Amino acid sequence: MGILREEMKRLSGTMRQRTAEPELDEEIRFHIDMQTEKNLRLGMSPEEARRAALVRFGGTERMKEEARDEYRSRPLEDLVQDVRYGLRSALRTPLFTLLAVLTLALGIGANAAVFGVVKSVLLDALPYADADRLVRVYGRKVDGSLERSGVSAGLVMDFIRMQRSFTRLATFYQGVEDTAYSSGAEARILKLTLAGAGFFETLGVPPRLGRTLTEADCVTGARVLMLSYAAWQRELGGDPGVIGKSMRLNARPWQVVGVLPRGFVGPMGDADLYLPLDLGPTLRDSTRARRRHWLGVVGRLAPGATAEGAQRDLAAISAQMAREHPESDAGHTAVAVPLRDSMVGDTRAPLILLMASAGLVLLITCANLAAALLSRTLSRRQELAVRVALGARRGRLVRQLLTESVLLAVAGGLVGILLAWLGMAALRTVSLPVLPAYAVLSLDRGAVIVTFLLALLTGAAFGLAPALSAGRTSPQGTLREGTRGASESRRTRRLRGALVAGQIALCVSLLAGAGLLARSLWAMATAPVGLHPDGVLAVNVQLTSHKYDGDGALLRFYDELTERLRSLPGVTAVANVSELPGPAMNRNGLAIEGVAWPPEEGQPFIRYVEVSDDYFRTLGIPLLRGRVFGPVDRPGAPKAIVISESLARKYWPGGPDQAVGSHVRLGPDLESPWSVVVGVVGDVRNDPALVEPEPMSYASMRQETWGNNFLLQTKGDPLALIGPFRHELAALDPEVPIGKAETLRSRLAEGMAGRRLPVLLMTAFGALALLLASVGVYALFSSMVAARERELGLRIVLGSTRQAIAGLVLWGGAAWMATGLAFGAVGVVVVARLVRNLLFGVPPFDPLALGASVMTLLVCATVALLVPVRRATRVDPITAIRE
Amino acid sequence: MTDKNKGDLLQGTLDMLVLKALQLEPMHGWGITERIEQWSQKVLQVNQGSLYPALYRLQRQGWITSSWKTTENNRRARYYELTEDGRRQLAAEQQSWERLSAAVDLVMRMSTT
Repeated sequence: MGILREEMKRLSGTMRQRTAEPELDEEIRFHIDMQTEKNLRLGMSPEEARRAALVRFGGTERMKEEARDEYRSRPLEDLVQDVRYGLRSALRTPLFTLLAVLTLALGIGANAAVFGVVKSVLLDALPYADADRLVRVYGRKVDGSLERSGVSAGLVMDFIRMQRSFTRLATFYQGVEDTAYSSGAEARILKLTLAGAGFFETLGVPPRLGRTLTEADCVTGARVLMLSYAAWQRELGGDPGVIGKSMRLNARPWQVVGVLPRGFVGPMGDADLYLPLDLGPTLRDSTRARRRHWLGVVGRLAPGATAEGAQRDLAAISAQMAREHPESDAGHTAVAVPLRDSMVGDTRAPLILLMASAGLVLLITCANLAAALLSRTLSRRQELAVRVALGARRGRLVRQLLTESVLLAVAGGLVGILLAWLGMAALRTVSLPVLPAYAVLSLDRGAVIVTFLLALLTGAAFGLAPALSAGRTSPQGTLREGTRGASESRRTRRLRGALVAGQIALCVSLLAGAGLLARSLWAMATAPVGLHPDGVLAVNVQLTSHKYDGDGALLRFYDELTERLRSLPGVTAVANVSELPGPAMNRNGLAIEGVAWPPEEGQPFIRYVEVSDDYFRTLGIPLLRGRVFGPVDRPGAPKAIVISESLARKYWPGGPDQAVGSHVRLGPDLESPWSVVVGVVGDVRNDPALVEPEPMSYASMRQETWGNNFLLQTKGDPLALIGPFRHELAALDPEVPIGKAETLRSRLAEGMAGRRLPVLLMTAFGALALLLASVGVYALFSSMVAARERELGLRIVLGSTRQAIAGLVLWGGAAWMATGLAFGAVGVVVVARLVRNLLFGVPPFDPLALGASVMTLLVCATVALLVPVRRATRVDPITAIRE
Repeated sequence: MTDKNKGDLLQGTLDMLVLKALQLEPMHGWGITERIEQWSQKVLQVNQGSLYPALYRLQRQGWITSSWKTTENNRRARYYELTEDGRRQLAAEQQSWERLSAAVDLVMRMSTT
């Protein structure tokens, strides 16, 4: 029997290691010498005497082993032995080992990678001191036309004066702007933002070099700035003497007073330069003070205060101000949210979904591993029974099996960490633009340790059950069973079935989630945007402001550049616009002549861009009523406004027909003359993640000159025009740098990146789950058929047809699959609930998505089942029974 | 391993014989086998392979101790010696053995007529 030989080899192999006990050897040598002497005295020849003594003594090696067994217990040596044996048995069944290790590695790798992301976004400390006490304050319109907007300078001052919830409140500019930095001949674009008095102190961020911006900097309008660590390294080579040096921004010198620590990212996003934010001019201008809601506000909670309490505090102040300044503050209130929540933003839900998906995959992995270990233990019953019969203690056997599964788990864990590392690299490329700026994606030690523990736990937990059941086997029963015909016990068959059902249930839940999200993305991508982005190149130019002060100079520059671009070969239309279509767009308060807004709500805020005459033609936005902008809308002429259809329908009872010709005012300046609505155009979904288009208003570039974004409609590849664009721009003004240049389509896709990521990842997880579950179904039914081979052979002998055999196995499988699907329905409900908020234009129980996922699973599972079914029908009855 | 089961059965007896052999003086392993053979008039032949496991077992139980000494013909050998516990154990085993063998004796002498 091969197993016996193996057992002996194993014993001798481990003993060879253990001659480290010279005492016992010496004792035995003495004994044998004495016996030899005695034999000599009895008249034997020397060789004979020696041989007889050895024979008399018996196997010295075996004896030594037993003597040692008696002498002490050997946990470490047992472990080494178990591990060696485990490794050998793993190598003996390479396919099983590979499958088990890979399965586990996939499950664990996916979890480690996702955990790494979740940790870096949701758990890692923000780059501020005591960040849990920081709160972001937003403005809000009670009518919902502004959510999480900026706060007006006047209201911030009221907050600072009257609040009781914060030890400190600081303002900052909510975004990051491009600015032209000229070092030597070349102009480069750096990202600039503004920080109000006490901004860095509120966040608790000390400078790495020099000092932070002071209140004096902010009040005097000093031309000083702080550099980010990255910009300091990149632009100035990490010059330690940078403090006091000057940098030319927009052709004006600014003095560097400080460098921020490495890893600092402000709540406004990642910036290179931090300039003092001077509220003085804004506050002195009565229109801008209270009617421009543009400031970011961050506060450090006072001891004992909470974000909710702070929000009540600020809302009360807002309400009081709405009474004092109804013309500007009516309907405005404040929202206070923990800073982390505000920075995590929309990524929290997808991340939690992702973690849940990874968890489901891990469960499937575990079921697979449990099934594999179970099958293996069953197929090794004979071997185990022989070992029990040979005197192996049961505890020892259980330990051996457990060691083997833990060994697999460790291998799976190691490969899993490798996969996690690769997965993290992949995640970094797909998800970075979507994640908050402070998130540094890395596999950290914690994630690796958690992963490894997870692997060990999985191995131990799913090795334990089969190991214990093996420990219980009665050797006689098993050995006898082995020689006679036997089928699988009902218990093991049920266990296998339950594992199949469990995998199916988990898999269908995941697939349903993936299906719903994919459908939703499809709906989002195919729903009309309202413009034709194909073949359009979008280029941002950064004008050095001093040369183009005054609308006249700016307009001339735009006109000249437009003329030059229009003459480029392949260009069919050119337009420029203040802001490209996208989720974050400027809004203005709307006033309509003769319409009084409800006093508690105040005026609504409407998206507002300035466009050149050809904007609508370039993007293919249809004109529905009236006219678009033209040369008549020159500076000084009555201001013309074009509005979108939804805006016309929302605020004019008579719709577009009534809207055209009516007088409106868009913007904070109450003194400005009324503008005229000259036309109504089609709706544009600026934020592709929103189902409904938002109302839009357009002003003419000629009358409100700001349009740094050029749009070129082309016949060929839009990106091929970047070079010619650069050339024309340099010919016009070599000092103006070119900013971001991309196709409009990719620009719009950026807005959907946040939506695409969960779909992409969940689909990947769904595919992974499908693969694992298919392998699981295949493996489980294969081993089931293998275990029942004798029974099936017997059935054939007794007259069963092959079709009946196929039916038997198939129906067995189908029954368990149906059970799995039934349980999966529960999972689907849970998943549908989880993804509901991420869905776009798809109901949570979309029959198409759910049906498709069930069908996919059924097809894969059936294919996986057909292989064992085929094998079952090919059982040779004679061999099956004779064996 | 059927051998082992039989060994288990004899184990108690071997342990008792070893303790008995050591009653008079400390001895090395070889001496113990010789002494048992001699006292039993060559009826009992100690399986030398089982002797050393038994010696280790008895040591672990604290009934004997061992130390390396020099023999008469100048060789090093491990000598085993009864401890106080060992002497008590021997007395107890001797007593129960006598009771058992007397009982077996009685049974075997029973006339079956």
